[in-house]
Amino acid sequence: MKHSAWLCLAFSSVLLGALANAATRPQYGGTLRLAMRSAPTSLDPADLAQGSSFSTSSVSGLMFDTLVTLNRSGRAEARLAVSWQASPGMQRWQLRLRHGVRFHDGTALTPEIAAGSLRTANPAWNVSFDAESITIELAASDPELLSELALPRNAIEKKNPGSAAIGTGPFHVVDWQPGNKLTLGAEENCWRGRPFLDGIEIEMGRSYRDQLTEFELGKAEWIEVAPEQLHRVASEGRHVESSLPVELLAILFSQDASSADKSLRQALAFSIERGSIHSVLLQGAGQATAGILPSWMSGYGFVFPTDADLPRARQFRAQLQSALTWTVSYDANDPLDRLLVERIALNARDAGLSLQPSTSTNANLRLMHTPLSSLDPWVALADLDATNGLPASKARGGSVEDLYAEESADMAALRLIPLFHLPASYGIAPAVRDWTLHADGTWNMADAWLGSGKP
Amino acid sequence: MKRAVYNSGIPNMVQSGLRSALRVIFPLALMTLALAASARAADWSVPEQQLARKIASVTGPGAITLTVENRSSLSRRDYDIIRNGLRSALESAAIKVTRSEQATTVKISLSESLVSYVWVAEIHTAGGESSVAMVSMPRPDGTVSRDSVPLSLRKIPLWTSSDPILDISVLEDGSMPTRLAVLDPEKISVYRMQGGKWQNEQVLLVAHAHPWPRDLRGRLLPGKDHLLDAYLPGVICHSGNGSALTLDCRESDDPWPLLSGSTSGGLSVFPSASLANGASNVVPQLGAFFAPARNFFTGVLTPGVGKFTTVPKFYSAAVLPHEKFTLWLFATVDGQVHMIDGATDQAVRLALGSDLASVKTACGAGWQVLTTNAGENEDSIRAYEFPERDAIAVSPAIDLPGAVTALWTESRGDTAVVVTHDRETGSYEAFRVALSCVQ
Repeated sequence: MKHSAWLCLAFSSVLLGALANAATRPQYGGTLRLAMRSAPTSLDPADLAQGSSFSTSSVSGLMFDTLVTLNRSGRAEARLAVSWQASPGMQRWQLRLRHGVRFHDGTALTPEIAAGSLRTANPAWNVSFDAESITIELAASDPELLSELALPRNAIEKKNPGSAAIGTGPFHVVDWQPGNKLTLGAEENCWRGRPFLDGIEIEMGRSYRDQLTEFELGKAEWIEVAPEQLHRVASEGRHVESSLPVELLAILFSQDASSADKSLRQALAFSIERGSIHSVLLQGAGQATAGILPSWMSGYGFVFPTDADLPRARQFRAQLQSALTWTVSYDANDPLDRLLVERIALNARDAGLSLQPSTSTNANLRLMHTPLSSLDPWVALADLDATNGLPASKARGGSVEDLYAEESADMAALRLIPLFHLPASYGIAPAVRDWTLHADGTWNMADAWLGSGKP
Repeated sequence: MKRAVYNSGIPNMVQSGLRSALRVIFPLALMTLALAASARAADWSVPEQQLARKIASVTGPGAITLTVENRSSLSRRDYDIIRNGLRSALESAAIKVTRSEQATTVKISLSESLVSYVWVAEIHTAGGESSVAMVSMPRPDGTVSRDSVPLSLRKIPLWTSSDPILDISVLEDGSMPTRLAVLDPEKISVYRMQGGKWQNEQVLLVAHAHPWPRDLRGRLLPGKDHLLDAYLPGVICHSGNGSALTLDCRESDDPWPLLSGSTSGGLSVFPSASLANGASNVVPQLGAFFAPARNFFTGVLTPGVGKFTTVPKFYSAAVLPHEKFTLWLFATVDGQVHMIDGATDQAVRLALGSDLASVKTACGAGWQVLTTNAGENEDSIRAYEFPERDAIAVSPAIDLPGAVTALWTESRGDTAVVVTHDRETGSYEAFRVALSCVQ
């Protein structure tokens, strides 16, 4: 082929070439601005009083590292620990630590510090150490220990007298206004390499509505998106990403059920029309559920029926003749929660039950949002039990039938009426590249960079 | 390396020795077919029998109505196999499948979780009792098969690994590949061709005192009087030339060579003389300093291009030798391409990727530049020429199974190595990219 003909052929494809997006390597520099609803007053990952949300767990991961992490298949991968070994009974675990890791104050990570950190977060564990590794001895066999070690609360921290905890993560604290604003700076000597961003500014305690406004005004490059807003925000051409459904929306009773109470709770559970709530109030986001664990995690979630059964609800209601009014509380700052509670009260009324929506903290029932803390169903279930005062799981690990039995036992206690599993959703400006949304709803900005940033 | 698989032969083998190539390709093809066949013929009999036994323990011998629903990623073919297997297993457990409405109903759902297949049997007896039985089995790690697009750009699989591949070098004796070296963040794995297969010969550890930067890059080049050199940010390694391979790594900010090819008197010489349009196969050498804690070159060149000894910070460079001058292209970190011919520096914003690699061919102008385009999850690669310094696409793009993490010209200069990262599976794949002339 002559060169002129060659070029003629070439020109025919030049337009396509120009339209393609250039694949660019990550660029250094720039400050990423985030907004989130949670307003933690402490950055200490072991401080459980702060409650949990996907964003608080993710922020913790910017500053702190765990010994292991779970990959997208839920399998453990090395982080601050490079290898591990369990005794035959899985009651004793030894983890060898990575060399060359330093905290943000320049101190080297040692087995002694790691052991101390784990002891603080888990007083029931017997944690010892030697020159290279730490050993965790447990009261009972725990095949899921690695999944537990991957939880943010088990991040390795160093506490200096009179100052906040510090970690080994890719960002260090530059400025911290508790509950309001956190400014992070890139850690030049991070063991995984300096992050591409120079810094991250996180505005806390912002409602979904305020976040969206800041996003539209260009004041934030990354925001949380409410489930019911997901469809609208995406249809307006904004880039939105969602995790798998990982947040449990459920009704939680404040006390255990008495024998008389049980039939009323059954009546409420059978009265709720999840299908119409899902399509109208949630705008199709998430999945209706009558089980605690989502099906993608357990594999059997569909065996818990989600359809309302009003005749059966009335049948259960009829077993107790006395009139009763339950108060049901919700987050006053969340307009969706109010609508959900009002809708559930309407369903309950059809079954002959009286529910009184309330923002009081002393209500009989509470509409709760609980992020499932782990991709490991055993750990997620145990964590949910612990944080909501449900009976502790009796076993860890085992067959899928054992897991089903544990979950069924939780359900049989009638403390909880699962309603929906919701995804964690985020709006992202086009300039934000290579951030990671994990299957468990948390996110990671350690490898993120700004397309317009300058190195 | 956790898992390394040699995928197929490499093109020069076919050109230089068909018999040798067949010796490699034929067993590999057989192995591939065998693996494919074994992957298709998964054995479901154990879980089928387990679930049938659990159902039988609830229903006892007798008749049931059975439905089987696929709620998982199992294929239709697997679903059919499992459904038939379950029926057989139930019959072996003295359970007869009927259509009688009076019988116990058993609904089996073939479901899955993140890590397992979960088969759930919901059993409703005629007496109104309900129970659930389950079995689970591990899901295989996801393997994704993709079709290659055999256009004028060809990609030939070289290597697959779960560890990052920074660069790969096929070391040749004459034109016969004898060794393969794979550079990852911690080591160089050297393989020797034996009996038509790459056999692991040695692992050479890459010593480094400082943490590697994110987006780590590395370059592997055949040595002049030794096997190979490795260039990583702030570290340069030279292999020994004795019979037992050694690797000497030291902290160094010395420049990285921007050109491959054999060196002679300050020139890089590329072997093929059959270049189109009088394009040169001898190019002045050029080195550039790499920022030790970043993913780019600082912009300082040695010895320089004409009067230019510095350019803006850049990710990659490509050379386009002409009869009377050499045009260098630098993909700078601000997204521009600087075209420098020694006398002028023309900065343009083109829709080219950060990674450029020049290849010399017998097609068109004789030298083309490969670059990457970004897709949603997968990148593509395409060849360009620069007549009058305009970027003209001269090949269709070929899709790659992931995001491009490295693109380097190979030592012979007529092919390039591209490394991709599949974010779904986490695996890295290295390909040789060759440009064929359109007839």
